[in-house]
Amino acid sequence: MSGPPLLYLLLFFAIPSLIMVLASFRSPGEFGGLAPFLEDGKVDLNLDSYARFFTDPVYAQIFLKSVWYALLTTLFCLALAYPLAALIAKSPQRYRDLLLLLVILPFWSNFLIRVYAWMIILGPNAALARSVNGALAWFGHEPVPLLFSSFAVLVCLVYVHLPFMVLPLYANLEKHDQALLDAAQDLGANAWQRFWRITFPLSLPGVYAGAALVFIPALGIFAIPDILGGPGDSLIGNVIKQQFLETRDWPFGSVLSIVLTVAALALAGLAAWIGRRNLGAPSSAKQARA
Amino acid sequence: MKQFAALCLALALAAVPVAPAQAKDEFHLYNWNNYIAPETIKRFEEFCKCAVVQTYYSDNEELLAKLAAGARGYDLLVPTANAVEALIHGKQLLPLDKSQLPNLKNINPIYMNTSFDPGNKYSVPYAMSTTIIGYNDQKMKELGLPTDTWAVIFDPKYLEKVKGRVTVLDSANELFAAALKYLGYSANDVDEGHWKEAASVIEKAKPYWAAFNASSYIKELTVGNIWLVHGYSNDIFQANLDAQAAKRPFHILQGMPKEGAVLAVDNMVIDKDAPRPDLALKFIDFMLEGKNSAELTNLIGSGNPNLEAVKYIKPEILKNPAIFPDKAVAAKLEQLKDLTVAQRRLRNRMWTDIKAGR
Amino acid sequence: MRRQPLALWVAAGAGYAFLYIPLVIVVAYSFNNSRLNAEWVGFTFDWYTRLFHDQDMLAAAGNSLLIALTASAVSTVLGTMAGVALYRQRSRLLSILVLAPIAIPEILMGVSLLIFFVLLNFTLGLVSVALAHIAFCIGFVAIVVRARLAGMDELLTEAARDCGASPWNAFRYITLPLIMPGVIAGALMAFTLSIDDFVITFFTAGAGTVTLPLQIYSMIKIAVTPEVNAVSSLLMLLTLALIIVASRLSPSLLRSE
Repeated sequence: MSGPPLLYLLLFFAIPSLIMVLASFRSPGEFGGLAPFLEDGKVDLNLDSYARFFTDPVYAQIFLKSVWYALLTTLFCLALAYPLAALIAKSPQRYRDLLLLLVILPFWSNFLIRVYAWMIILGPNAALARSVNGALAWFGHEPVPLLFSSFAVLVCLVYVHLPFMVLPLYANLEKHDQALLDAAQDLGANAWQRFWRITFPLSLPGVYAGAALVFIPALGIFAIPDILGGPGDSLIGNVIKQQFLETRDWPFGSVLSIVLTVAALALAGLAAWIGRRNLGAPSSAKQARA
Repeated sequence: MKQFAALCLALALAAVPVAPAQAKDEFHLYNWNNYIAPETIKRFEEFCKCAVVQTYYSDNEELLAKLAAGARGYDLLVPTANAVEALIHGKQLLPLDKSQLPNLKNINPIYMNTSFDPGNKYSVPYAMSTTIIGYNDQKMKELGLPTDTWAVIFDPKYLEKVKGRVTVLDSANELFAAALKYLGYSANDVDEGHWKEAASVIEKAKPYWAAFNASSYIKELTVGNIWLVHGYSNDIFQANLDAQAAKRPFHILQGMPKEGAVLAVDNMVIDKDAPRPDLALKFIDFMLEGKNSAELTNLIGSGNPNLEAVKYIKPEILKNPAIFPDKAVAAKLEQLKDLTVAQRRLRNRMWTDIKAGR
Repeated sequence: MRRQPLALWVAAGAGYAFLYIPLVIVVAYSFNNSRLNAEWVGFTFDWYTRLFHDQDMLAAAGNSLLIALTASAVSTVLGTMAGVALYRQRSRLLSILVLAPIAIPEILMGVSLLIFFVLLNFTLGLVSVALAHIAFCIGFVAIVVRARLAGMDELLTEAARDCGASPWNAFRYITLPLIMPGVIAGALMAFTLSIDDFVITFFTAGAGTVTLPLQIYSMIKIAVTPEVNAVSSLLMLLTLALIIVASRLSPSLLRSE
């Protein structure tokens, strides 16, 4: 089972990535790309770029900001996606597929125009901004820009990642046994208790999957701050992009990317480990019934 | 399952004829989007009896990154001067066979024989733009702000009046150049002390800016959400056309700062691995004809280094000092030079500090 | 339909509203009589007319659809296998190889794949783009399939094996139908990721290979005109129609038993 995907990823991911891992130990080319590997008999290998990253606090600072944004995005996505996935999972069979498709349909339109649509919604002359600032003015507060701000970036981040939380949650919730919940209701549990004691623990694998598929990509995002972020919304993804598309410093870009990837994998591993230890969710409906 | 697979296959086959045909002679042009008039392409296709396949990039650095990683298959590229410099040093370009370019004499000599390509061995000027100030004339008049100096972008005493309504380009090179010009230095100044001064000017002005933006700022300027921008002359020209078309009560005008600005001359160059360098040379000579060169200027308001083109350019564009600056202004325009690795790293470090946002 | 708490309806409704308000703007603005996607000026069909004459845009849309269908199909198969393998074998290596493409910044993956293809003298084109897309889509499918398997009763599969079914038959007739919602969810995600990918596609596309995102992003500095809204609206409609037709043709496809 693991053979074909392993082979494919080794060939089309691991090996190309190794090229860039090697690049992180080299020097940038004077006018772009990488410096020659072998020059005058000397091999170009050094730890300069790593040293720069570890001795300069600003990169860790920006990285932590990105983690924060990604975390907020994941939490808001979870809050919005859970009811959606739950409703779809409990719908009659014939509506389920359509409701699911309706969730993902908007995301087959182009990313840019979806972001532009948000720029229209959040624009200073649009209804939302006017009512918010009108209310603020009533309290004597200065008007607050909705566009070109962290708020705009977060709203867009949540929007863009929402289906990647809904779909895994749905895939998990779909198999929950209604009989279990009925039994609990018969025994006197109210709606909240049924949710918190039965549904949520059973859905944890779906929650983790969704969280991974939102948090990890959100860490590296750069397009959204570029288009509607404010002056202080530069994230680690933006810094990485600049290394390749402005400074032409591929080694440093590789270093930042490797650190990002390793950190993301480590955080995912940590979350999974915590989940297995602390929450001790019943690993099957069979166990829960016992 | 089988029917689904069959449907997918049917769709895939249906999509194939939509892909471009591979029959005729093909000329691969790698260019900025909307940087050549469709009529010009059609005429060239008739002239050379070939098919023009266009691919686009939206930034010089994208072009450089792709070529540095080894991408091939393009015939003609249209990089800006500092990218040409990088390509020449990277030995990425084919020297031009001048005997095939009789129309080369049409180009204004002041744009020839540059420091990065002496004798024009590899490049020929195509079109130009400047990085200047764009503004909403109604708002600027209301607020009594000057529009001919970088101070209106950098000086807090002016910025106070437009707080949250100003954007600057999200480009370290462009913004530092503007700040250096504002301080009275050359845009190509590489003194670290001067760079630090420029960085501090930027930091002082940053709280008043709405965003660092190179992609959606023109939209916001055109509809009136943003009133003042640091932007490209072509974009600002287009914004005014759009504003007029939407019957807005204001104009979007170009302001040429008296301290000077960055001039970007885009050049036609041939990739050394070009599959059809002969077609590329034909194209270059074709675009050196006044009539063809003028079409782009009339379309997007770009500057034009071609003396023959003047006959064909719309008079209102010719009169525009931001597109065709007079001698005094032209003397203060500078083309950006490429930086060394150490300089690029230093600049990026300062830029990261600015963008880290405290 | 079983009566669900009102709170659930309201919350889900809010979710759908959040998803669809921007989409309503996207579709509405495809009829906007202004080059910019910024403010409503007036109604026009111009952009649709222009789209039907725009060979480049249509070809780009066709390429995107072709690549997305291929990439999502292959990555769903490989991703499902990976998801099952992850659940049963808990292989560290596979785990990392599956998650890393999701974590790695797209620019790095794009540049590294380009260098890799060039080193192999592999001609860049639609195929190179599809291969790249498959690489980053596998992980999404695998994670969802693994989550679906978590907590599933493997008793049924064991029973089938005890009764003499081969591993493939046990998988095909027992496991696969049970994990089908996960597989479908993964396939939908893979398709979505592929059809809208820009960065990796930019680096792995050949000279003359244009996908819809490449075409659209190149307009970013001038104006992303409502023609883009038009092509997006049509593409959404087309894909929706395709899926509805497919599910009518093979009703068992999307159902889980």
